[in-house]
Amino acid sequence: MVGVTGNAMSTARHPSSGGAHDRAHDYRRRLRRSDMLVTLFWASLAAAVAMFLAYGGTARFTSLGDSVTNIGIIAGLVGTDLILVMIVLAARIPFIDSTIGHDRAIAVHRALGKPALYLLLAHAVLLVTGYGISSGYNPVAEIGPLLAIPDMPLAFVGLGLLIIVVVTSLVAVRRKFSYEGWHLVHLLSYIAVLVAVPHQLSVGGIFAGGSVERAYWITLYVLAFGSIGTFRFAEPLLSSIRHRLRVRSVDQIAPGVVSITLSGRRLRSLHSAGGQFFVWRFWTGRTWWHSHPISLSSVPTDDTARITVRDLGNGSNAISRVPVGTRVWLEGPYGVFTDAGRTAPKLAVMVAGIGITPVRAFLEDSNIRPGEATILLRASSQDETYLWDEVLTLAKSKGATVYIMVGKRSTGPRGWMPASDAERGVTLRSIFPDLDDSDLYICGPTAWLDLVEAEARADGLPEHQLHMERFDW
Amino acid sequence: MRVRAVLGSVFASAAILAIGWQFGSATAASLQGADAGPASTPTPGPSSTPGSSSTPGSSSTPGSSPIPAPGTSSAPSPSPSAPQSGTFTGAVESTRYGNVQVQITVANGAITDVKALQLTDDGGRSVQISNRAAPILRSEVLKAQSAHVSSVSGATYTTDGYLSSLQSALDKAGL
Repeated sequence: MVGVTGNAMSTARHPSSGGAHDRAHDYRRRLRRSDMLVTLFWASLAAAVAMFLAYGGTARFTSLGDSVTNIGIIAGLVGTDLILVMIVLAARIPFIDSTIGHDRAIAVHRALGKPALYLLLAHAVLLVTGYGISSGYNPVAEIGPLLAIPDMPLAFVGLGLLIIVVVTSLVAVRRKFSYEGWHLVHLLSYIAVLVAVPHQLSVGGIFAGGSVERAYWITLYVLAFGSIGTFRFAEPLLSSIRHRLRVRSVDQIAPGVVSITLSGRRLRSLHSAGGQFFVWRFWTGRTWWHSHPISLSSVPTDDTARITVRDLGNGSNAISRVPVGTRVWLEGPYGVFTDAGRTAPKLAVMVAGIGITPVRAFLEDSNIRPGEATILLRASSQDETYLWDEVLTLAKSKGATVYIMVGKRSTGPRGWMPASDAERGVTLRSIFPDLDDSDLYICGPTAWLDLVEAEARADGLPEHQLHMERFDW
Repeated sequence: MRVRAVLGSVFASAAILAIGWQFGSATAASLQGADAGPASTPTPGPSSTPGSSSTPGSSSTPGSSPIPAPGTSSAPSPSPSAPQSGTFTGAVESTRYGNVQVQITVANGAITDVKALQLTDDGGRSVQISNRAAPILRSEVLKAQSAHVSSVSGATYTTDGYLSSLQSALDKAGL
């Protein structure tokens, strides 16, 4: 059994040892898939407008009231389509995550939030106004008759919930919430989206019973909620049951940092590549209700896996004190911070702080030739050199060059490095002379990573050679 | 954003919009044909629309050609001179928001009641408009004793269908 899963693992993994040809091939395939997703996205928006056109098209713009109403209907269709796209992006569908990466999927998800809300608000305002103009009421007086239409009260509830969800997700507001509190509110969006469905099908005539439009629209909902149900709920549950993970040991490796070793079964069949993360749920009385994205800090064997986590919030703090034997659920593997993303012959790796964990597993998992890789380890003090010993050992065995930078950050132009190095004139290029021919993997806190990314981009490093994992948690 | 993604998006979107537009135009054309049909046929003789409706090809729309109301063939008034009594059912009028059909009750040549058998019902909003417009139209018609009443604002399609169906019922009654 072990032999079989071992084989499955090696075929599932990308042939990183196969060299430039396979890498270029993989890269082109990802590009094709990514282009296809972009095209699908715009096509779905066009389809939303096309359904309106098919229902009557421009023939319906005969009076002012009708015109306002019609623009409102289009806004509603497009806004709802955006919401469904957002759900799909957040569903962690393997195809999407392996194509553009979960972090980019979530970035797009976030970027669509406000436009979607604005369109749906416009939908409500324009329809109330348009109906009002047609029937001779002012918009506020029109709300009464509107609520009298079956399914409309639910639609208003949905809009209200949606406003709450988007407002709590605005950066400034979100900071005031704990992650778990915010996430709980965010779950309201499912209800918001679902209670809006009846009025879409019954109030207007576009989705009349038995029409192709109705079938298409319902299919979109089934796909969006089906992928959430499958990849966020059903699959993690089955995977958790199948792998039977329990905490085997919790070891403090530095002040506030613990490595948790988990025991389970058939862990190789998870096909996790080094550098990926899972979302973990620890079943103790105080921790079961929230989950945590944490990277594997080494390549799992078939019956053990190790994660390393720093106390960043209350949740993580509680995790570091979970007792041995605690049952653990997992969701994943996620992330494209893996060997499979490489496009260039050389490898440059930059790590700061707890960002070391995925890099540790990534190095262990990747087939690098001697002299191919250069690694920069960054910490603000000796206390934060987590797992450095392991990385140094790995680097030595794989023939990789390692530089280290320890010290408080420079307040000058190169804020990602210690002041002393900045004064010496160290740059990204002086550390990685072959930067143009390298894939740059960066992992660390967002603020630090942003500075490095800015310098890499300023140096003209193309998008596909940049690989980043932000540690926001 | 890569060129291929941009071009793919542009062409796919354009094609989808064009298809939607095409369907919309076809629907609009067929409905216009249906509307023009019965509304302008006061003459009892030929069943096809005369040249009064200038839309060519309106008679060639098969799906939505005016359905003769039950009893149309047997009901035509033989002599318009004598005052009529009884109930007369108007033709079914297709509108964008559904079919409209009315039935009138006539006593000694006077319209005493108008009953809506079908009203525009394409969605909850449409039903609401119909329910608002129907009583207004009924009382206007009873007051005017003809189909020459002003349109209910915000219920143009319902009004048009209602009055067309009413006119065909009046024709049957010989009023």
